Amino acid sequence: MAGVKCSCGCSGKGKNPEYTVNASGVTTLADLPVGAKATISKIMPKARGRKKFADVGLVAGAELEMEAHAPFGGLLRVKVLDTSMAIHSEDAANIVIEKEED
Amino acid sequence: MRESFRIALAGNPNCGKTSIFNALTGARQHVGNYPGVTVESKSGSFVLNGMKIELIDLPGVYSLSSSSPEEEVVFQELTKPGIDLILNVIDSTIPQRSLYLTTQLAELHIPMLLAFNMSDDARKKGLKFNIPKLEKYFGSPIVQTIGCRENGVRPLLHRLAKSLHELEDHGVPMLSYGNDVDDAIRAVTEKIDALDQNKYSRHYSRFFAIKLLEHDAAAMRIPELKPVASEVEAQIRHLWDVHAIEADTFMADRRYAMLAGACRDAISMSHERRREISDKIDLVMTNRFFSLPLFFLIIYFTFWFTFTLADPLMGYIEDFFSWLNEMVKSVWSPETLPLLRTMLTDGVISGVGGVLVFLPNILFLFFAIAILEDSGYMARAAFVMDGIMRKFGLQGRSFVPLVLGFGCNVPAIMATRTIESERDRTVTILVLPFMSCGARLPIYALIIPAFFAPKYQAFVMWLIYVIGVLVALAAARLLKSTLFKGEGEVYLMELPPYRMPTFKSLMLHMWDRGKMYLQKAGTIILAASILFFLCNTFPRKTAFSQDYDSEIEKIRQEKALDDAGIELLRQSGALDPEIMAKTEEDRFIPSEALEECREEDFPEPVRVLIRSSRAAGEEMDQLEKKKQAELLEYTISGRVGRALEPLFRFIGFDWKLATASIGALAAKEVFVSQLGILYAEGDADETSVPLREHLMKNYTPLQGFCVMLFALLSIPCLATLAVIRRELNSWKMAALEAVALFLFAFLSTAIVYQLGTLFRIGTRFLS
Repeated sequence: MAGVKCSCGCSGKGKNPEYTVNASGVTTLADLPVGAKATISKIMPKARGRKKFADVGLVAGAELEMEAHAPFGGLLRVKVLDTSMAIHSEDAANIVIEKEED
Repeated sequence: MRESFRIALAGNPNCGKTSIFNALTGARQHVGNYPGVTVESKSGSFVLNGMKIELIDLPGVYSLSSSSPEEEVVFQELTKPGIDLILNVIDSTIPQRSLYLTTQLAELHIPMLLAFNMSDDARKKGLKFNIPKLEKYFGSPIVQTIGCRENGVRPLLHRLAKSLHELEDHGVPMLSYGNDVDDAIRAVTEKIDALDQNKYSRHYSRFFAIKLLEHDAAAMRIPELKPVASEVEAQIRHLWDVHAIEADTFMADRRYAMLAGACRDAISMSHERRREISDKIDLVMTNRFFSLPLFFLIIYFTFWFTFTLADPLMGYIEDFFSWLNEMVKSVWSPETLPLLRTMLTDGVISGVGGVLVFLPNILFLFFAIAILEDSGYMARAAFVMDGIMRKFGLQGRSFVPLVLGFGCNVPAIMATRTIESERDRTVTILVLPFMSCGARLPIYALIIPAFFAPKYQAFVMWLIYVIGVLVALAAARLLKSTLFKGEGEVYLMELPPYRMPTFKSLMLHMWDRGKMYLQKAGTIILAASILFFLCNTFPRKTAFSQDYDSEIEKIRQEKALDDAGIELLRQSGALDPEIMAKTEEDRFIPSEALEECREEDFPEPVRVLIRSSRAAGEEMDQLEKKKQAELLEYTISGRVGRALEPLFRFIGFDWKLATASIGALAAKEVFVSQLGILYAEGDADETSVPLREHLMKNYTPLQGFCVMLFALLSIPCLATLAVIRRELNSWKMAALEAVALFLFAFLSTAIVYQLGTLFRIGTRFLS
């Protein structure tokens, strides 16, 4: 796949395509591929750390970009309000997003 | 006109607050800890136009939600009476994010001054600020600064002087979040004012009104505010009807909305933001494949840097202390107060000197860490290592301290301060002593060559280190699933853009840690040195199994050189004139001179003389050492060893090993020198072959291995224990750690020894 930019260094040719289908049928931040942009549509009301997320700019309506995935899984690097934040994928799964098509 | 002011410095993490602080106060700063938490407190002072100003550097936070110890500390400090002004540092390259905290600080109704820092970077990024407009939005004056530049804080000083002069009518910031929200805030504020409670001054009622409106847990727990709960609920319901946003993130949402409006209005972007250099570096640094090798390379380079540079300096310090020792000994004659003399030289100077030798290591290590920290790499390292460390119940930020532990546990434990989660930090500190530090190396270096064939030596060494790492990781896993159980805290970490560290901040950082280490050497180590000296000296034995002194004297009489011998020596020219003179006086060749002289160079009669003197010298030496050994056995250390022998027999230690191991609890290096004295070899160091021969004669390889295992698993030194106490802020934890490590070391060694004995592994004497 030419032209796919991916900061994880695999230049777009991952091993096997991986799909995560959320039971509730919504896309969350944890599903956002590297390089893609999105807008937060909602943060699950029961999610832990809602306030902490809000304090760094992760609120409904905020625009963000997935910058990288850490090796061996776990952490995601997300750009929000022009700052890179590392956030755990479990927590990211509580952030519902709307992908931006470009 | 007042003469002294207190100013609080507040801002986000990584906003350049520290560089502003350093630029304003220089090196006149005081670093300490807030009571009860491990948040570092820092304050400094400077004089501005004759006004004495105390600057309090608050920890970097994103908000005042009290959701972390840092936020708690910032709130407590700001609401303490006596803060005249808040100096809020803004990273002006990311104004929208940085000003979020400003909206909350504004609610405290304390005069505020905004420093738009890194204004050079903001200009490069194409950001233009309409300062008068922004000042109106935030109700506070704004200055543009460049904290890391020599003259970058000049404008700030000018504005600060002006603000302090007109403090009475400086005015307080007042923000507007839209009519309906403002109305709700006013309604709750009035209710709180009507309560007329004076827990906090009336100024903060608006602050608490907002906190209650956003369901802040800490504010809702305040009993004095309970009566307004119904009004709060009514307002929240009303706001929900209009905005349909949950209360807990409602105010955050309104603040961002207000900021977005203000920034759109007063900040313009002259050109499209280009991809920053920082992001390009990160394409490599946090790359899925390169990141780990790069990380290990950088860590390796850090060690290399530390040890290469520190090595020559360590030599100088060592030389200095041995010179000092000699000097004191030569000035202070052995006749006057002999005990105090030896206590000062062999106890205090050797003990404290032995610790201060590591000062260059500490300084360079923290210089290197400061570079990694200030440049922003440390956050990347944590990001990259997180996945692996999490499998063991730790996190990315635990890795660097653990690796540093191979050098010395003390700075490694101090380095855990970068771990934000209190629980992860505690676990990291508690398992750190299992990382085999440099002080244990002399023990391995003594034992391994004695009991293991050359082809296995490297393997055994490697095995010991690997055992340490595995035990540390397993222990972390265990602690996290038992004592420190619980859902992991929400992990949020900023990866700040790479920045060039300033030399000044690196030096200050290095000096902070160096100072702590010096304090430690001056207190705990000093006390321990005296204590161990006393234990190794008292009670003094007066009646010996044989009369060593007279026997030594007898040899001296018998082997004394006669006139013919002296004449022969003088003619041969074997000795320097100075030593020759001393020889004539003593009728004995000094032992130092004997060691140096090569008998092959001389004719047979002289050779005979040298040889017989040497034999006599050695015989006297042996007697003296036997006497020392008897003396030691009689002292507290010796008695403790004897008393513990039945217990230590389970792990294969006799009383000598037990005494040395007890001494090694103070500092691992002590083991070798203690054992050396016990085996009457005098000043033993790890290369002394005779001590090794003693070991081979008296112990089996299994016992040798057990000694190393015990040294690896028990507490490395008192200094480590002291630093654990300070970093965990708990005597109880430190004491429990010491006991737990001892028990664990004892049990593990006992199991190894007993199984080894049962299956006869390594139980044969080698000689």
